[in-house]
Amino acid sequence: MSLFAASGKPAWRYVQQENIVIAITAIVFLGFSVTLNNFLTTSNVLSLIQNVAILGILGLAMAQAIIGRGIDLSIVANMAVSVAATLQLANGGMPIALAIALGLALALVIGLINGMLIAYVEIPAIFATLAMGTAAYGFVRAALLNDNLIYLKAGGDGWFKWIGSGQIVGIPSSVVLFGIVAALMHVFLHHSLPGRFIYAMGDNPLAARTTGVPVRPTIVLQYVLSAGVAFLAGIVMATSVDSMETRIARSNLVYDVILVVVIGGIGLSGGKGKIRSVLVGTLLIGTLLNGMTIMDVQYTLQSIIKSLILLVAIIVDSLVNPRDEQTSQQGDI
Amino acid sequence: MLSEFLTRWRYRLVPDHVLGEILSKTWIDNAIPFAILLLTLAVFGTLIPGLVTLTGFAALYAELGELIFVVLGMSLVMLAGGIDLSVGSVFALANFLTLLLFNMLGWPIPVVIALALLCGGLVGLVNGFLVGYLRLRAFLTTLVTLIIVRSIVDMLILAYAVKVANPVATSPIWDFISFDTFHGLPVALIVALVVAAAAHLFLTRLRPGWRILAVGGSRRSAYNAGLPVRRTIATTYVMSGVLAAAGGVFYAARLNAAGSDTGVGLEVLALTAAVLGGNSLGGGRGSVAKALLGAITVLIVSSSLIRLSLPTGATSFALGVVLLAAVAIDVRWVKNRSKLLSRVYVSPTYLKLPPAPSTEAGSASLYAVNDRLHEVELIGLGELDGPEDTILDAADHLYTGSRHGDVVRFIAPDYRRQEIFAHIGGHPLGMAFDSEGNLIVCVAGMGLYKIAPDRVVSKLSDQTNRSLLSVIDDSRMRLADDLDIAPDGRIFFSEATIRFDMSEWMVDALEARGNGRIICYDPRDRSSRTVISKLLFANGICMANDGESFFFAETWGCRISRYWFTGGKAGRREIVIENLPGYPDNINRASDGNYWLALVGMRTPAFDLGLAMPNFRRRMAQRIASDEWLFPNMNTGCVVKFNEAGVIVDCLWDGRGINHPMITSMREHKGYLYLGGVSNNRIGRYRIPGADPDWTGVGSYWGART
Amino acid sequence: MKSTLKKLGFALLLAAATASFASFATADEPDDGLVKGANAALKGKKVAFVPIAMGFDLTEAWAAGLKQDAALYGYELTIRDPNWSVDAGAQAITQLIAEKPDVLVIHPPEIQAYTRLVQRANAAGIPVVTMNLKSGANGDAFIGADWYDIAVKQTNAVVKLCGKDSGKSGKIAVMQGVLTNPTSQYGIQAIQDVLKNHPDVQIVSNQAADWDASKAHAIATTVLKANPDLCAFIGMWDNMDVGVAAAIKEAGKTGQVYVVSSGGGNQASACDNIASGAFTTYISYDAKGQARDLMMTVRSLLEVKPESAGVHTEALYTPLKTITKDTLYTGACWSLPDVQKYGP
Repeated sequence: MSLFAASGKPAWRYVQQENIVIAITAIVFLGFSVTLNNFLTTSNVLSLIQNVAILGILGLAMAQAIIGRGIDLSIVANMAVSVAATLQLANGGMPIALAIALGLALALVIGLINGMLIAYVEIPAIFATLAMGTAAYGFVRAALLNDNLIYLKAGGDGWFKWIGSGQIVGIPSSVVLFGIVAALMHVFLHHSLPGRFIYAMGDNPLAARTTGVPVRPTIVLQYVLSAGVAFLAGIVMATSVDSMETRIARSNLVYDVILVVVIGGIGLSGGKGKIRSVLVGTLLIGTLLNGMTIMDVQYTLQSIIKSLILLVAIIVDSLVNPRDEQTSQQGDI
Repeated sequence: MLSEFLTRWRYRLVPDHVLGEILSKTWIDNAIPFAILLLTLAVFGTLIPGLVTLTGFAALYAELGELIFVVLGMSLVMLAGGIDLSVGSVFALANFLTLLLFNMLGWPIPVVIALALLCGGLVGLVNGFLVGYLRLRAFLTTLVTLIIVRSIVDMLILAYAVKVANPVATSPIWDFISFDTFHGLPVALIVALVVAAAAHLFLTRLRPGWRILAVGGSRRSAYNAGLPVRRTIATTYVMSGVLAAAGGVFYAARLNAAGSDTGVGLEVLALTAAVLGGNSLGGGRGSVAKALLGAITVLIVSSSLIRLSLPTGATSFALGVVLLAAVAIDVRWVKNRSKLLSRVYVSPTYLKLPPAPSTEAGSASLYAVNDRLHEVELIGLGELDGPEDTILDAADHLYTGSRHGDVVRFIAPDYRRQEIFAHIGGHPLGMAFDSEGNLIVCVAGMGLYKIAPDRVVSKLSDQTNRSLLSVIDDSRMRLADDLDIAPDGRIFFSEATIRFDMSEWMVDALEARGNGRIICYDPRDRSSRTVISKLLFANGICMANDGESFFFAETWGCRISRYWFTGGKAGRREIVIENLPGYPDNINRASDGNYWLALVGMRTPAFDLGLAMPNFRRRMAQRIASDEWLFPNMNTGCVVKFNEAGVIVDCLWDGRGINHPMITSMREHKGYLYLGGVSNNRIGRYRIPGADPDWTGVGSYWGART
Repeated sequence: MKSTLKKLGFALLLAAATASFASFATADEPDDGLVKGANAALKGKKVAFVPIAMGFDLTEAWAAGLKQDAALYGYELTIRDPNWSVDAGAQAITQLIAEKPDVLVIHPPEIQAYTRLVQRANAAGIPVVTMNLKSGANGDAFIGADWYDIAVKQTNAVVKLCGKDSGKSGKIAVMQGVLTNPTSQYGIQAIQDVLKNHPDVQIVSNQAADWDASKAHAIATTVLKANPDLCAFIGMWDNMDVGVAAAIKEAGKTGQVYVVSSGGGNQASACDNIASGAFTTYISYDAKGQARDLMMTVRSLLEVKPESAGVHTEALYTPLKTITKDTLYTGACWSLPDVQKYGP
């Protein structure tokens, strides 16, 4: 397994980048605790995590795509339409389990098409998933849904509803699910063959292919996995607000997802970063959003602050891991 | 017999080679986006009656102008290898600023426009600084500026939207920009087209434009070549910012609306347009024409989809699918174009040669193999690389070319010492001295060159008249091969093929088409003109002793012809030797009034059969690797001597194939024959029994000089 | 199965009824001096509708009305769906101006977005009807809610629920939609005007969720945690405010934190939520009634074409209906499937 060690660069560099983010998080957290009245309460901290749990789950899906030197911009659209389809089917009287199975199948098919386009047609991932997000949203909206906003009616009180709004020993179920997905993703990436392949591909796709890594099937797997996790995030979202608004497919949410992934130190050039990076990034963004909401900062100003922090993070990243003119990849955007 | 007749005419009439030549043109890159545009028009024109009319398009003109600005900016950035997602937000910012400054503050329009453009340029500068100088990733960085600028616009809207709504001032300039048209074209579109034309000139004619292409094509090479890579990249973002802002200004003029939705998703639309037009993600490939094609296509698609009144979502679906299809085609095209080109470029044609004369040793054949060249002396063994032709001057020094672009001189009398006489470049092939002692050289890949006795190299000709219907540019000289000089000073030289370069000259044998020609350079007016075209690998040329005609060899045709360029028979062409057993190369005069001819390789029955089976050769060229192709034999050859009637009078072989088997040229000088070979590492020197020991080539042309 | 049969039967019946009406109208209806001329004036005319988007209760109800009239009177209805994109909407209107419909119905997403296009359409002689959201120029008719009035009614309700005699904290939060929308432009002004006289009620949070329920949910959750004694939310659209209601439910504060919402009065988003206690007070601008207003206005513009379009703007402000648990009667709301099936 050591053959697939993530990179030739010394490990302390990544630790350093992650430490910077952890330090910023701690400072921001402490700052808010001191200056804001209702910040440092158990319930607020829980709500802090709960509010970003969905973002975090999406971030986990995105992280494994980015580590393999890809990106999945269709993740939000996929989540929105597949879960909306599930709700619509359930509202039409279908057993909830069957509706979930069909919705999941829809999500996975979209992921599969993504993977095929990237792996076999060789369309750049940015593009394939961008266009696929638009196409998938349009197709499902036109063919399956009769409204932008689909309410959760059937099964609204049973176990299904619990997924997004239940609690285990006082901890919101969405937070628990976030934790479980993070743990599973960690095991997948670090202790399974496909997971190691993803790191190898992210580090150097050509070398990975030369050494016999099944690059194309692994890429397909990544996007199918991403779709599946996104579907789960969507279920959490829908069951917590009792509806699914398909228009989030057109929102900036996917940029927020990239934000939590990149800010924790997962480089867009692939092969770098761990699940811990996503957790750190999620925590920082959660803290910021929570604090700013308590301070009643306008949403637009929040976007600016978030973006500036991301900008600082990638500037620091480029200073810590400078790109070399002689070795950087042509056409790496 | 009939089938042979049909095959002959099929290959005479159908120009197979044109497909490959079209694919090798650079403009073919625009053909696919153009085809997509036509397809779009066909599809939506059928679905929407009245779309393909002037009024149908007129509604789109103003928007097209705005879109062209944004797509141009995006394309410039993409050409340098980046991407600019912030264009949509910059567009919105410029729109709002324009309205704010004009409607609310009532500033004069020129100032307003200048400030809006400046603002766009500033955002571009931030992008350019971050991406160019700090080397951040373009996608993520411009995504961040997209969000930040969008948020700033939202905050401005929140604060001023109501006040902006009601103009405090009117301005004739503003009304002019907003409403006026020239021949139905709105101001926005006219300005956009002017800017596009300027951008085209910038990219194709100016140094900074070339730098952008160089950086996009290969950033590393550009950096190593000393180009200011970072500044170049930063500049593209500034230009993109200004162009997006220009689009926003015209949008403000058209709608006078400060909506929060302005320009949302414009980056995706612009990206789609740029890629649909054929600009590659990752840089290096693209043009203004491509950007325009893409912008028009995208606008027709998106507006047609709205006009079709499709159910909610169907528009998104169609747009997504069109985007995917376009990128898929683009990606496959870029990846496979060269593959496709190499598959179809070689286009064999029909050539039926009569059975070759026997060369069997000891037979009565004129070409019978002997071993007379076995004893040749070797000059420069192991020091030479590709001495195709040799020549000797009046002082007996020996000159030859090399694959490295040098003309090497061996010093008489023992030819042990050598020096580089001159460096030209390319691969110097055929050589001749003119009446003033200048060495005239045919250089493969470059043309016809002159080396004066003081070693100064000058170009005589590298292009001739372009033939009317040629697809590839046949005015350029690819493979000038051999030359000779008429008594009046005109230089006749052969170009072996117009379809292949020196490195793959043998592939021309697979085609066996008349790709070669003979060109005449006239030193009096320095003009070049094609004299004979469609020759089967035109090769050696030698002036006949009458001074009115020359002999020339067609290598794949295995024949020698004679052409009269002046005198009573001017313009006549006769075949002198019809059916050689091998492939003729250079021809030179012999001391006894006859002519020496080198056969560079000998014919084989298998390849002769293959020449009559063009389909077989095409399948071979398409399906198997080039190093497994069936090529003519080029390992063994001989030297023959023929007289003016075309009768073979002598034949020299290296029968054992050890000392000097491969011969492309020979030059008689003072009783010796000097032998060259295009892939040899030596020059052979053969003592001709009974030859005139004082005869020299230079002397036979220009008379003995003191 | 049974209900499907029932639906099928009803559809057949409806088709038969329409057919008989049509034959009645065209065959030998006695001319009362008006009806034939009126019907003839509508036949073959072209009406175009550009909503913000199709696929939600308001626009679907209006479109259902227009479709019914189009089938009945034989005018041609074109709906161009820009699906929430202002640019696509502007593009659609630009093209429609070139196609010269007899009436153009628009539903502007923002106050300024279509102002110039409305003027241009009017200049081209096309009468324009603006739906529900005011534009800078409204053309020949405006049919819709008075957003100032709605917000006044909502704020008054909140003052009553949270004011000084209620025993509550008086802390309220405002959930806006899109900031450039008239709902925010006029609504915020109204809220501030009303609260000027009620210093006991104060806004502790004022944010925009862009009409997105999940964004509203996230914001509301944090606002609730930050202000445990919050009294009420003023929401600006029912479809978004369900996110707020869900957040309150999760916090276990249903009934303690009020939601005062507004919307088109669709059964699923209005009355159902009032009945379940998710919303406390709801101001309905009755999209079904607006649909009828629209049908009549379009007919009248087709019958008597204004001599110069856009000179006089007819303002048809929709009567507002306040729905609470106490005033929740059968028929307080309308059902979208029914309107689509049977017309407004």
